[in-house]
Amino acid sequence: MGDPDEALLARVADGDPAAVRALVARKLPRLLSLAVRMLGDAAEAEDVAQETFVRAWKQARAWRPGVAKFDTWMHRVALNLCYDRLRRRREAPTDTPPEVVDDGPAPDRGLQAMETGERVAAAMRALPDRQREAIVLCHYQELSNIEAAALMGVSVEALESLLSRGRRALRAALADMVGD
Amino acid sequence: MTRDGFEALAQAYGGDMARWPQDHWDEAALFAAQQPDLAAGVLAAAARLDEALDAWAPLAVSHGLREAVVAAAPAPRVRRGLTAWIWRAGAGAGLAAACAAGLMVGVMLSEAVTPVSADETVSASLANYDDLTGLVNGEGA
Repeated sequence: MGDPDEALLARVADGDPAAVRALVARKLPRLLSLAVRMLGDAAEAEDVAQETFVRAWKQARAWRPGVAKFDTWMHRVALNLCYDRLRRRREAPTDTPPEVVDDGPAPDRGLQAMETGERVAAAMRALPDRQREAIVLCHYQELSNIEAAALMGVSVEALESLLSRGRRALRAALADMVGD
Repeated sequence: MTRDGFEALAQAYGGDMARWPQDHWDEAALFAAQQPDLAAGVLAAAARLDEALDAWAPLAVSHGLREAVVAAAPAPRVRRGLTAWIWRAGAGAGLAAACAAGLMVGVMLSEAVTPVSADETVSASLANYDDLTGLVNGEGA
């Protein structure tokens, strides 16, 4: 299967401004979501997304088609940056909790949905990193099990175990909302 | 597929069978057809968790972040490296050759059209005068 980003990337390498904006529109929301769900911190997630693109721009002219999908490569870069930050957090404990993600005003979304979202965010933050990563990649980023397992460097069976344990923990944390 | 297998897939991948690994689709569909009530209950429970997870809306991309990312993108490609050197060297050599050729043509033209000095003109005229005088006086011919 070909890389759907390949043609766009070639135009980006030539500095085509329209292609740059198209790639940003296609990837930035996705990478920002990945980072914010991994880190639970809006400011840090924006830094990760921006740094991922800085590396992507450097890579654009050297990209060799067929080696990997560009989307997978960007996910790998973003995940590595997230893990760097998570590691630094563990090594430098602080009394200040990470900034709670503020989705901003959303007039079309009810208060109850916002509360549900905040509760889900809190439950996700409470998961072990690897379980959270598995759920983020499979549920939110909608990667295939093979892509997610490859990104995480585990077998598909190990991925499924992480997914099951993560979802079981979430179900327990949100039991009043989702039932047993 | 067993009941445990069906439940394990729902537990891992959620209540939408379309999001399950493709290689399990046929067996899962067969199980759901054989045990419709059981399968529906398992899928509904998993779907409730999916719905709750989806309530965590993604963070919107700010204008500032988008523009910062775009600003760092590669500039339009310009000739670089050996190609640029060859191009510049070629242009430089051409310019130098044109200058040299122009200079040579200028020198040649200036030699062709510049009059000889006034002294030489007078000397030549006097020499011719002497020759004419000799002819008139019957000297040589």
